[in-house]
Amino acid sequence: MKILVIEDNIELLKDIKNFLEEQGNVCEIATDYKSAFMKAVIFPYDILIVDITLPDGTGLDIIKEVKKENIDVGIIIISAKNAVGDKVNGLEIGADDYLTKPFYLAELNARIKALYRRKAYKGSKEVIFNEIKISPDNHEVFINDRLMTLTKKEFDIIHFFVANRNRLLTKEAIAEHLWGDHIEMADSFNFIYTHLANLRKKITKFGGKDYIKSIYSVGYKFSE
Amino acid sequence: MNLVTKTNKYYLIFFVFLFPLMVGADYFLIQYVVNKEVDDVLKHESERINFNLKENQVFPSSNYILNSIPVNEYFSVSDKYRDTLIYEAYADRLIPYRMYEFKALIDSQKMKITLKHVLLDMNELIVWLFVTTTLVILLLVTGLFFINQGIYRWAWKPFFENLSKLTNYDITKKNLVNLEPSNISEFEELNRIVTALMNQVKTDFQNLKEFNENISHEIQTPLAIIRNKMVLLLESQDLKEKELLWVQAVYQEANKLSKISKSLTLISRIENQEFTRLDSVDISVVIDNIIGNMEEMIQFKNLEIVVKLNPIKVKCDQVLANILFTNLIKNAVQHNFKGGHIEIFLNKEKFEIVNTGEVSEIETTQLFKRFQRGNKETESLGLGLAINQKICEMYGFQLDYDHYEGRHRLSLYFNS
Repeated sequence: MKILVIEDNIELLKDIKNFLEEQGNVCEIATDYKSAFMKAVIFPYDILIVDITLPDGTGLDIIKEVKKENIDVGIIIISAKNAVGDKVNGLEIGADDYLTKPFYLAELNARIKALYRRKAYKGSKEVIFNEIKISPDNHEVFINDRLMTLTKKEFDIIHFFVANRNRLLTKEAIAEHLWGDHIEMADSFNFIYTHLANLRKKITKFGGKDYIKSIYSVGYKFSE
Repeated sequence: MNLVTKTNKYYLIFFVFLFPLMVGADYFLIQYVVNKEVDDVLKHESERINFNLKENQVFPSSNYILNSIPVNEYFSVSDKYRDTLIYEAYADRLIPYRMYEFKALIDSQKMKITLKHVLLDMNELIVWLFVTTTLVILLLVTGLFFINQGIYRWAWKPFFENLSKLTNYDITKKNLVNLEPSNISEFEELNRIVTALMNQVKTDFQNLKEFNENISHEIQTPLAIIRNKMVLLLESQDLKEKELLWVQAVYQEANKLSKISKSLTLISRIENQEFTRLDSVDISVVIDNIIGNMEEMIQFKNLEIVVKLNPIKVKCDQVLANILFTNLIKNAVQHNFKGGHIEIFLNKEKFEIVNTGEVSEIETTQLFKRFQRGNKETESLGLGLAINQKICEMYGFQLDYDHYEGRHRLSLYFNS
């Protein structure tokens, strides 16, 4: 898919761009309000990633303009402000999602994929990875077309892994994906470890391959 | 003790000491004056007698004469006053008299003449002095008391009004305190100084707040970059074991920093009254959702959970209600033994959560402070309860903690 990332911090912008391009997306960038506005209105994108504070304006105005022009694009706000007011404003004027800095790139990637699926396929599309088929809206996972019963968190984990295949997912990123901000769970890493073990067992029991690899002690990677 | 009581107390102490002094001084003064007067009378009488004797050669009659005794030529008679007691038959007791002796020549016979004058009854004098002085002092004290009371009510009125205004002053609120003007220069001075002080504090507070907000805001993007680069490093896969540990440590600390910053920002935003929405939040639904979200964690820790919820609607911000109850329930899960208990009750008055767990040594009051952890070894930051405390302060909820028989109990009263 084609993504425009609007962010004034060059380093962060590079990180996002690299990450998204490695996921096979076409990624364009803008560092200020003017150029972002021009690109967003002129070129067609699937997803806009918009930082609210820009040197010469606010990202909220870009979203307003895009909505006024009736451009069909998914919008995710990234902001350091973490103000509920901002979040509510952003979602009210037509943004689809909101991420507070600092976010995990894997989380951004998962949100982009989910948003794209909702927009482009109205949610009906299934995510397929070799013998694994995920139907996000029904919270169902099929291995070799056999339905595998999972707990809610197990589903969240496998969905997050498949969306971020071939990337290192740190335990912290997984924990935040499972429980959200503002929750620091002391036992979350043990919990993840145990649930991943269960998940592996279930997948192999259904004849699937074990794609989950432990990377040192920092996290996991889902890859061939 | 308030000012007027204190003043009255000192007045009273002063009068208690003054009273005997006054009585004593009065006693001696009156005695002196009376004696002098009597002495003058006696002196005058003696001179009259002497004059009559010289000019008329007659010994005049006088009421004051006690006796006249002929004395020897060489007997010296000094002119002197004496106090004495003389028995009076009519009263059947000794009566105090003042006496004066002098010599005179009657028919060329030297005589010692003694004059007497009755003296006041000093006992009676003291009694009357005591009574009158007491009366005067009583009048003075009551008068001063009422005047004081009046001054206290009237002149100090603006002072007390300002006092109550300052008591209600809250630096986090935007409204300024307008102090009552007064025509008393000391109060005006006080008002001026307090106003200047408040403005200074307000400015400092504002600056500090902005500084905090800017820091926690500006720190987020660099932190995001640090984390991303660390993940890239970890992904590069050609790290040695040692380097890996370093990178991992940096990554974890950056995460911790980010969480601290997010939590502190949340606290300061609650303090800044940025959550103004008053949704009608069904607390039982909120709690159900949270328990649902933690269900697997609860199973994972093998916790036995008892939940008794009565639906109750509370006016507050949905986001804050979620944070508040998530923190409370999360704590109960987190600081619990494997196979422990959790009990959650909710009714119209209160929410209560009881859980087994190690009883911490921290004082209850310390528990709600920032960065205070029951158990130093856990990775928790100790900000959860501080956030809860802020939310409760904002809505006037009361949060109490106690422990009994190895169980922690947190009670939240909605209308305290």
